[in-house]
Amino acid sequence: MEWLFLVVSFVAVVAAGLMLTRQNAVHSALFLIVNFGCVAFLYLMLDAPFLAMVQVTVYTGAIMVLFLFVIMLLGAEATTDTSGRIRWLGFVSTAVAILILLIFGFPIASDMLSDDAVEPLEAKAHLRVINALAAGEGTAFGVIEPGMDYSASAMDRTLLEGAVNVDVALDSLDDSLSDIAFESVVHFGARDATPGYTELPAGSYALRASLSATAGDRVFTTVPIVSRDLQLAADDALTLVAFEGSDNLISMVLLADDLSAPSVGSMRLTLINGVADAQVSLVDIGQYTAIRSLCEDNSCDALIPHRVVAADLPSGESLSVELDEGKYNLAFVDSQQNVLRTLVDYEAERGRVETRLLVRDPGVPGGQASYRAVMFDALGKPAFGSPESIGQVLFIDYVLPVQLVGILLLVALIGVIVLARPDALRQAERRRVNQRRRVSRPLVSVLSQQTGTDVLSGDYLAKLPGGSDDPAND
Amino acid sequence: MMHSIGTEPYIMLSLVLFLMGAMGVLMRRNAILVFMSVELMLNSANLALVAFAQQWQQINGHVFVFFVMTVAAAEVAVGLALIVNIFRERQSINIDDLQQMQG
Repeated sequence: MEWLFLVVSFVAVVAAGLMLTRQNAVHSALFLIVNFGCVAFLYLMLDAPFLAMVQVTVYTGAIMVLFLFVIMLLGAEATTDTSGRIRWLGFVSTAVAILILLIFGFPIASDMLSDDAVEPLEAKAHLRVINALAAGEGTAFGVIEPGMDYSASAMDRTLLEGAVNVDVALDSLDDSLSDIAFESVVHFGARDATPGYTELPAGSYALRASLSATAGDRVFTTVPIVSRDLQLAADDALTLVAFEGSDNLISMVLLADDLSAPSVGSMRLTLINGVADAQVSLVDIGQYTAIRSLCEDNSCDALIPHRVVAADLPSGESLSVELDEGKYNLAFVDSQQNVLRTLVDYEAERGRVETRLLVRDPGVPGGQASYRAVMFDALGKPAFGSPESIGQVLFIDYVLPVQLVGILLLVALIGVIVLARPDALRQAERRRVNQRRRVSRPLVSVLSQQTGTDVLSGDYLAKLPGGSDDPAND
Repeated sequence: MMHSIGTEPYIMLSLVLFLMGAMGVLMRRNAILVFMSVELMLNSANLALVAFAQQWQQINGHVFVFFVMTVAAAEVAVGLALIVNIFRERQSINIDDLQQMQG
């Protein structure tokens, strides 16, 4: 990449130099276009494709065309620099420019050559924790005995009351970073639990996740159920899910998420299967309203005509699907085609990124098993420098400045119209004529005296040189 | 993603281009060329903003560049209209001729 930067910056500097030194203003303008094109290319190298396109259209397109238009309109291609001051001014300004270049350029250059040059910040990695351990009324969870076998990443549940917390500790293995405080407990108690991602710099980490619960006034904590080293690269996104696995064992899985923006006109739905021993499929049951109302009661066992959106997702795994914009009636079904949960009138908004976790609702003990599809929002973050990201910031955080700039452009437009209207031309012309009249008035008065007629009245004036409004006489 | 060369080279280039623009403003007598030099300076400032925005991964720098471009477009439109008017009145756009406001 270095050679590319060197070539482009060399062309930019040479073009700028030629622009400054050409006597013909048209040549200068053309070299400035070359320079602007190079800057647009550098914007591309700096992850700013939107600004690069704006640079090309606004600067090298509109503004430079305006320049060329004015230059050619005025016929001002070859205005010579004939001032006497120009020589010493040139020397002084060159000397000052070199001085400034040395003063400010030297530290930058020494930074550039040293090894500890500032590296650009990398994009962050993301990690979130979802605690899908529903603690219903009367549900009991297990006490962890020391010396238990945790090789299965699981915890037995027996007599322990209340909610189970997931405690996550994340230590950076990179010496240059201090340990990171992590939002350690995420409760699943409320239905609108929406744990967000925690941003982390890329690097290697040690992740330890354990469970804790209370029995009476005692707090029981397990040894780490998940204990592993993580290599987080930029733009990685991971979800740690704790859910009830088979045989009343609590499992924790680490799933990779896709945070990139979904393709145009669609949304991305990430499904996590948190149901023990069940392969879950997501199907689109279409617009069968009668069947829909049946299925809303979780009582429609026989499967309706459907389209499979995601097939056979094993327990503890995740899958991302893209849905086109629109309304859907979706159903989670198990491998025996039993409907576990329906999502009626599910609205797929474009650009949305959503996670749905299917878990078993503890409900009433002894009652029929019901399931919940818990939603976790994760708005897709547009890529840095993309039109979406700039648009979001521009029209959310900077609405007022955008309006002000719009007003500024309007004022500029009106100003240009006022400056360029034909009246202004005529006024300027009249002023010139009046100047000439003032010069020629003594001569006119002499003429009047000699001829005895009032030359200033009547159409004599029009016959005087320079007296007409026709600029061709000049 | 091309992150390999860091921010300093861009700042250095921006500095060089800014000084060249400043020299153009001081040395050229043609009002249109003075204007083009000002555009060069604005562009070099924009380049520095974009480079720093990329270094800190802050999109605000891009937004600011966007505003600078808008203001530059308005400025060019008004400035060129002024130049056209001055040329009509004086048949010259040599800025040394425009001294009637000098005290």
